[in-house]
Amino acid sequence: MAVAAAIVAGGLLDLSAVALANVDDDPKAEYDGRFSFLRVRVGQPLGMYRRLPPWAHDFPRADFHFMKILEEITFVKPMIDQGNIMTLDDPDLAMFPIAYLSEPGFWTMTEAEAAGLRNYLKKGGFIIFDDFRTFHNQNLFDQMQHVMPDAVWQPLDLSHPIFHSFFEIKTLDVDSYYGHAQWLGIFEDNDPQKRLIAVANSNHDLGEYWEFSDTGYMPVDLSNDAYKFGVNYVVYGMTH
Amino acid sequence: MFDALFRFFFALSPVVFSQGEFRFAASTGSYVAAGAVAVAAALTLYAYRSGHGRTLQRVTLAGIRLAILTIILVCLFRPLLVVKAAVPQQNFLGVLIDDSRSMQIADVNGKPRAAYVKDEFGANTRGVLKALSDRFTVRTFRFSNAPSRTTQESDLTFSGSQSRLGAALSGVRQELAGLPVAGLVMISDGADTADAALGEAILGLKAESLPVFTIGVGQETLSKDIQVGRVVTPKTALKGTTLMVDVVLSQSGYDGQQVTLDVEDEGTLVSTQQVTLPNAGTPATIPVRFTVNEAGPRVLRFKVTPQPGELVTDNNAREALIDVRDRKEKVLYFEGEPRFEYKFIRRAIPDNDNLIVTGLVRTADNKYLRQGVDTPDELVAAFPKTREELFAYRSLIIGSLEAAALTGDQLRMINEFVDRRGGGLLMLGGPRAFAEGGYAGTPLSDVLPVVLDRSKVMQKGTVMRLTVKPTRAGAATAVTQLGANEAASAERWNTLPGVTAVNRVDEVKPGATVLLTGTDETRAERPMLIFQRYGRGKSFAFLPQDSWVWQMHASIPVDDMTHENFWRQLLRWLVEGVPDQVEPTLTTERVEPGEAATLTANVVDPAFVELNDASVTATVTGPDGAVADVPMSWDGEHPGQYTATIPTKALGWYEAKIDATRAGKPVGSAVTHFRAAPGDAEFFDATMHAATLRRIAEDTGGRFYRPSDTATLADDLRYTGRGVTTVEEHELWHMPIVLMLLVGLLCGEWGYRRVVGLA
Repeated sequence: MAVAAAIVAGGLLDLSAVALANVDDDPKAEYDGRFSFLRVRVGQPLGMYRRLPPWAHDFPRADFHFMKILEEITFVKPMIDQGNIMTLDDPDLAMFPIAYLSEPGFWTMTEAEAAGLRNYLKKGGFIIFDDFRTFHNQNLFDQMQHVMPDAVWQPLDLSHPIFHSFFEIKTLDVDSYYGHAQWLGIFEDNDPQKRLIAVANSNHDLGEYWEFSDTGYMPVDLSNDAYKFGVNYVVYGMTH
Repeated sequence: MFDALFRFFFALSPVVFSQGEFRFAASTGSYVAAGAVAVAAALTLYAYRSGHGRTLQRVTLAGIRLAILTIILVCLFRPLLVVKAAVPQQNFLGVLIDDSRSMQIADVNGKPRAAYVKDEFGANTRGVLKALSDRFTVRTFRFSNAPSRTTQESDLTFSGSQSRLGAALSGVRQELAGLPVAGLVMISDGADTADAALGEAILGLKAESLPVFTIGVGQETLSKDIQVGRVVTPKTALKGTTLMVDVVLSQSGYDGQQVTLDVEDEGTLVSTQQVTLPNAGTPATIPVRFTVNEAGPRVLRFKVTPQPGELVTDNNAREALIDVRDRKEKVLYFEGEPRFEYKFIRRAIPDNDNLIVTGLVRTADNKYLRQGVDTPDELVAAFPKTREELFAYRSLIIGSLEAAALTGDQLRMINEFVDRRGGGLLMLGGPRAFAEGGYAGTPLSDVLPVVLDRSKVMQKGTVMRLTVKPTRAGAATAVTQLGANEAASAERWNTLPGVTAVNRVDEVKPGATVLLTGTDETRAERPMLIFQRYGRGKSFAFLPQDSWVWQMHASIPVDDMTHENFWRQLLRWLVEGVPDQVEPTLTTERVEPGEAATLTANVVDPAFVELNDASVTATVTGPDGAVADVPMSWDGEHPGQYTATIPTKALGWYEAKIDATRAGKPVGSAVTHFRAAPGDAEFFDATMHAATLRRIAEDTGGRFYRPSDTATLADDLRYTGRGVTTVEEHELWHMPIVLMLLVGLLCGEWGYRRVVGLA
């Protein structure tokens, strides 16, 4: 994994030329059977940071770095040169059964988006919530209650298969720069024996580590760990 | 009619001519007369040598005159027919009466066949039997399963569940052995329901020159009847399997009529549909779909509602036994890369299903994710490396995994898994599958139902976009049934979202069947789901790489079960009929009460090598709870095949649990069921089988009669040449035909002369 981080840091992925995307363009990759990183576009552009709305934080560097790592170390065949940004009511969302939603603390939804996510998850989709602090948990819970009124967020422990689907994650005792991370999940039918349909990294920001993994701003070990969680999430989402 | 005409012209029955010997009884006077005829002939020739008329006219007149003289000459030599005739009351006659249920069919002038039999053969004081009794000592037998003596009319019950013509003939022949028997008379509809051929019985009769005179009772075509002719069902099925069964219907008198075809599982209706009947004489195959949800031996009844005016309603239903197994059957799914196709196929099979899809996903080089394993050691070293390990699974799915990921021995093992073990193989489309995955020329390319050509592969990065539909052959299988009925299923296929494929297949194997085709963007048709049998097993190729779109696509409702149903049905087909280490078979699922059932079991070791030194026992539990251990022995001919015959007493279900051990260690066990019950075969193809009865008669030197022309039967039987006989000489010169010929020729000569002006 350290090697993988070094690949990125060493410039094999020279994304320095990648300009900050004009997220209003909503880039969409044409589905061709390959896995694509799908970033969910939500709500109003509140909380702009680096001229980007919250859901677009760390885009596009995090997305592309992560896909490159995924391709290098697993047999997943991702789209490297293209990503996807879609709203939850976009019919094309269904073609990419793993979605990533950044900054759910600022998440707001229309009825159509709530219905879109509900159908997506019930049919077999999987969503990752990242980049938010503990005090944003409540908004995440509120929004998900709107999507699935009966859904219950449950803390995940290390024994869950998602932490062993590719890398053997040894500990969940992780401190990010938001503070001590917490892993939460929603199970199908709220049954822990069934598959996870949503995972949330509360008080953590995997995307931040992915984005800056080639810059030296972040410790290599922490970047590696962030990639490990991301890779496990994707492999879990493709096998469970 | 023919007989009456024959007798009118020849004054004797055809039998006398067929049995008799032709002779002349010439006397001295005959030779004197012959001289006179010769002189007359010479004078005739001389007279017509020249004279009036043209040459042709003279030749014709001379010919007529010579013909007249020849007939007179033959008559003067006293032609005789010498025939051996039975001495009255000195010979025995065996009369065999069909006492089976089919004789109750009312197609003899609106009356049951049985009524005719009772009228004519019920007592020796009336009908045909009286005529026979006047000439012979008659021994009457009734037969269905086996012949037995009958002495009074009330013995005939017409309730037998079988008509074993061969057994009846052989039995009566043996019963009358040593007696002077003139012949046998068999009264039947000719419907032989026995498994054994008639040939053996006929050979025995021919060897003794014992003729059989047969009387065919009933119509050769029923005027109004509907019949469920044939139902093809699997012998075993996994609980929850949806079956697509072909029901063959035939009818007469109901062309184009709509009827209801129901399927009952032990009395519970599991399927009903309206069917338009085919034209008379053209059987129609109707696909019927239903799900078996109850475990155990299940009797499925396929039934057409009886229609007004039907002559036989007992043949409107057929029964079939299916052993529905409630057990877990494991499918190994080896996927070469994490991908959604894997996830959604596994997800299509619920946890509580009888199918277990054990997943082995290669997530990276030498890194595997295992799912659905029973023990911590299962697949711990990745894909099985021994036959014992691989053959423990019933079917195998290979996903997007290149051939190079498997060793040569593993590829051969997979070939043997299908060929020898009888397992099912399914290869899924993907970037690393089929020819694109390097399988051309490997032992797997032989197994797969498609032709792999390494020179015709998809370019990397290209993808075909296709809409998928069943073929005509595919539409007749359960796997393509996506709706409640045929129309709903077709509509569902029409509205399913498109899929993509990255494998090019232009050709399927000669014995393969294409079940689904895809239409690509250039409107070209490409095979998408292909099936073939290979050795003892079967193989499938499924080309789309993302059937999961049928689950996730925005156009698919959340509660839609299309994707789940498709994969459940396909995987059930994949494991259907895959043998166990101990695999029982029965000659027939039903035996007549009191008969023995023949049980066979194939016994193999974990590598599916046949075992001839196993100890095999069948523990048979009867319907009355009686338990008996029946040892099964190797038949000495077929490797690994053990047989036993199991007697039956009580009516009902019998369960046979077969246990095989070798050197004190268990090899395996299996359970099968059969039942002792009267059969209903009597009412199927219940027309009068004239061809069978005619064959029996002609092969043995007898004659075939219909009820309307049995008047000559008693006389005909006198000339079989068997038993105590006397020689009869029948003069032929005074046959009416002789006089008619002479008068005719004389009149012809006179008429001809008038016409040509020579009178």
